[in-house]
Amino acid sequence: MTLIKDPLLLKKLEKFKSIKRGYYSLVLLTVLISLSVVAELLVNNRAVVVRYNGAIYFPTYGDIIPGKKFGFDYDYEANYRELKERFKNEDGNWLVMPPIPFNPYENDYIEGSYPPYPPDSRHILGTDASGRDILARLFYGFRIAIFFSLLLLFFSYIIGITIGCLMGYLGGRFDLLFQRVIEIWSNIPTLYLIIIVSSIVAPTFGVLLSIMVFFYWVTMTWYMRTATYKEKAREYVLSARALGAGHRRVIFSHIIPNTISVIVTFVPFTVVAGITTLTALDYLGFGLPPPTPSWGALLREGTANLGQQWIVMSAVSAMILILVMVTFIGEAVREAFDPKKFSFYE
Amino acid sequence: MKRILIFIILFSFQFALSAELPKNLKWETNDSDPTYADPNAKPGGTLRKFVLTFPMTVRTVGPDSNNSFRNNILDNTWALVGTHPNTRNTIPLLATHWSVGKDMKSMYFKINPQAKWSDGKPITADDFVFALEFMRSKNINAPWYNDFYSTEISKVEKYDTHTIGVFSPKKKPREQLILYLGIAPRPKHFYGGKVPKNYTRAFNWKPEPTTGPYYLKTVKKGKSMTLVKIKDWWAKDMRFIKGRFNPDKIIIKVIRNNQVAFEHFKKGNLDTYNLLSSENWFQKGDGKEYRKGYIEKTSFYTDSPRSNRGFYMNSDYELFKTKPLREAFSHALDIDLAIKKVFRSDVARLEHIYTGYGDYENKSIKARRFDIGKVKSIMAKEGWTRGGDGIWKKGNKRFSVKLTYGYPAYTDYLAFIKEQAKKAGVEIELDLLDGATSFKKIQEKKHQVSFSAWGVKMLPSPWESYHSDNAHKTQTNNISNTDDKELDALIDKYRKSVDRKEMVQLSRKIAQKVHDYAAFVPAHYFPFVRGAHWRWVRFPKKAGTNLSIQEFDDVTHAEYGGLMWIDEDLKKETLAAKKSGKTFPPVVRIDKANMRK
Repeated sequence: MTLIKDPLLLKKLEKFKSIKRGYYSLVLLTVLISLSVVAELLVNNRAVVVRYNGAIYFPTYGDIIPGKKFGFDYDYEANYRELKERFKNEDGNWLVMPPIPFNPYENDYIEGSYPPYPPDSRHILGTDASGRDILARLFYGFRIAIFFSLLLLFFSYIIGITIGCLMGYLGGRFDLLFQRVIEIWSNIPTLYLIIIVSSIVAPTFGVLLSIMVFFYWVTMTWYMRTATYKEKAREYVLSARALGAGHRRVIFSHIIPNTISVIVTFVPFTVVAGITTLTALDYLGFGLPPPTPSWGALLREGTANLGQQWIVMSAVSAMILILVMVTFIGEAVREAFDPKKFSFYE
Repeated sequence: MKRILIFIILFSFQFALSAELPKNLKWETNDSDPTYADPNAKPGGTLRKFVLTFPMTVRTVGPDSNNSFRNNILDNTWALVGTHPNTRNTIPLLATHWSVGKDMKSMYFKINPQAKWSDGKPITADDFVFALEFMRSKNINAPWYNDFYSTEISKVEKYDTHTIGVFSPKKKPREQLILYLGIAPRPKHFYGGKVPKNYTRAFNWKPEPTTGPYYLKTVKKGKSMTLVKIKDWWAKDMRFIKGRFNPDKIIIKVIRNNQVAFEHFKKGNLDTYNLLSSENWFQKGDGKEYRKGYIEKTSFYTDSPRSNRGFYMNSDYELFKTKPLREAFSHALDIDLAIKKVFRSDVARLEHIYTGYGDYENKSIKARRFDIGKVKSIMAKEGWTRGGDGIWKKGNKRFSVKLTYGYPAYTDYLAFIKEQAKKAGVEIELDLLDGATSFKKIQEKKHQVSFSAWGVKMLPSPWESYHSDNAHKTQTNNISNTDDKELDALIDKYRKSVDRKEMVQLSRKIAQKVHDYAAFVPAHYFPFVRGAHWRWVRFPKKAGTNLSIQEFDDVTHAEYGGLMWIDEDLKKETLAAKKSGKTFPPVVRIDKANMRK
């Protein structure tokens, strides 16, 4: 029993699976993304489970638990790393810390020395210049970057595909008008606009995303327009029309499924573009406001402290790793969806 | 109307003819304060420094003249008198004697008859009369100077070639009169007796003759500028000048990036490099050149007026309308720990406004400390409770504020304070904007809290910053919107006073009131000047003065500059040692005489 019945698509998936590095990259990336969704359980200064005086607590999500509840003398959030040390001498009380017991905002200053600290058993990848765990910042930075680019992909594709499809399908004046609109649109320098906006207001995730979507949808329209023009002239479209199918049905049930290979092959590259743009903006200081964990900010810090190579090394390696994986996936997808293997030309 | 005008013209004409020095003037000079240079300093040699940008002009007034290079010329354009950088008494520069008029609106000066322009022409009373005409002229295209020289100085009177009087339109305390009326001359002969119409265009690259030790000799456009010491300089034997301004030549290279400049310095292409920030002092100030003793580090604690740097709450913002919440916010900022951790304990906590202003400072005021207990008791009294996220709340209000600032270098420091504030139940959102935009936002009073610092003056000027005249309106310096009737009364009294004792008392009371109002949380200041220099750059035993602003960059400053010298023998020795691999003991000199406990 398979969900996908279309034999052509099945063949494509088979082909994709057979391209090992693309397939494993996809698996790895999916795992990473799913892990990043529950980052709070893996990289955090809050314990996963605490058992104290007979009661069980799950501090990860929701409200803070004040230190008083665990027998400290303060009202602010309990320090679970200290609590763990204390529990070593207390019977029946125990807690489980996440594998990386630091959150990305926390300044961990070691008495008598000054950050950045080199990698050691406490901080696997070391810390940045303010004593924040680099691995924690990389991980949360990854979550922000990847979801930023996935959302960017989603919204810009919805707009891009719709308009591109309509241009190809309707043609005529609509096509002509939007061609001109897009030509003008794509001449607005995106980077400068973002720089201007972020110097006026501190940009939030939503603002940055909207600006990017505002410009990014354009790229997809050209490809969709051509693809639609091509498909529209095919006999199956004519047959569907002859059978009385409406425009909407023709576009959504016939044309878009047949242009899927165009869309899919562009997806990985859009993801790459999303990540690099966000990183570049953060690097230049025009991205998300500090102290948001971000790869770009880490890169900038690394290049400013070239003597402390672990900072720049970890940021660069993480970038390379993710971008190479996405590119492998992209390659594999393109090969798997290459119509030359399965289409028959008349 | 016409008649009045004629009368005025006649009157002033008459007055001009009959200008006569008031009798019974008490002439003062200063030949007793301690000197601060090293009498054994070796003259000669070349000092090499750098600037980040090549200036757009070498004019010192007019469009584009306010660049980082300008001080190299301005410092060499001496005024009549200066301030002793350790005792803060007046010292002679171009004038040998001075006298403050009994009306507290005038000053009289005897110009040193030996004083000469760098082109050899003598400096006379006419140059000072011309200076006023020059600075008021529309031809120089400098509205700020036009205004300043019209509203702060009413006229300059020539009595004979070497005696002048300078007049202020309003009464001022003695200290201020000396600061405002001890003006600098302009070379009348150089401009042909009148202010040239095409000044801003014709004099872009024609440096004006100077009155100080150096003059600008060569300009290699885009590359470097060379200042050369005047041969047989007229002032070289003056009490406070002897042993200063030792290098024969100062080459100022244009290096457009600090990192690159630092590499040049390490190679020995530059003689000095400022290392003010903790990061630079500890990280850049460490390496094999230091360990081998080729490069030395010098730090000198100063006692100069400090900038009122800190957190300015906008008391028009909903949360900060009442004093208790302002106090609670002050207690939620863990500045001391941030200084310890982020600045490695080597900057000092600012305790109150007007630190370093001598008698005017109220040393008894201590800034509010980080205290979770105090925050708790204040908030509980006001009826707030801690929300589920640990932040104080009351109804739909949350104690969450946006902190506006415009200088990315402070992000680490502020992020640290933000994390600590969370413990006290206060959420701070960092609102980092571009420098100009953040300044605009703050000037328009649209901020909630800002992290700002102000330029310093020699005397406190509280009206602009704390008087209600400047509250609740845009484009004023009262960015905390401080509005307190008692404080207003004190400030008004302070502004009108010409009695130093009274002003000192008032200034201290004002500082106390500002503290009580609790809209300003003093942050920190750099209590020293410090930097690195090659071994051959030598300093007196006391490497700086109390008023030094930057150890190495102000080598030409008339009051506190030019203490260092270049020892050519040591230079040869060091360069030879560097080649052969010989090492010297590493040197880090820290003079803590002025350090506050």
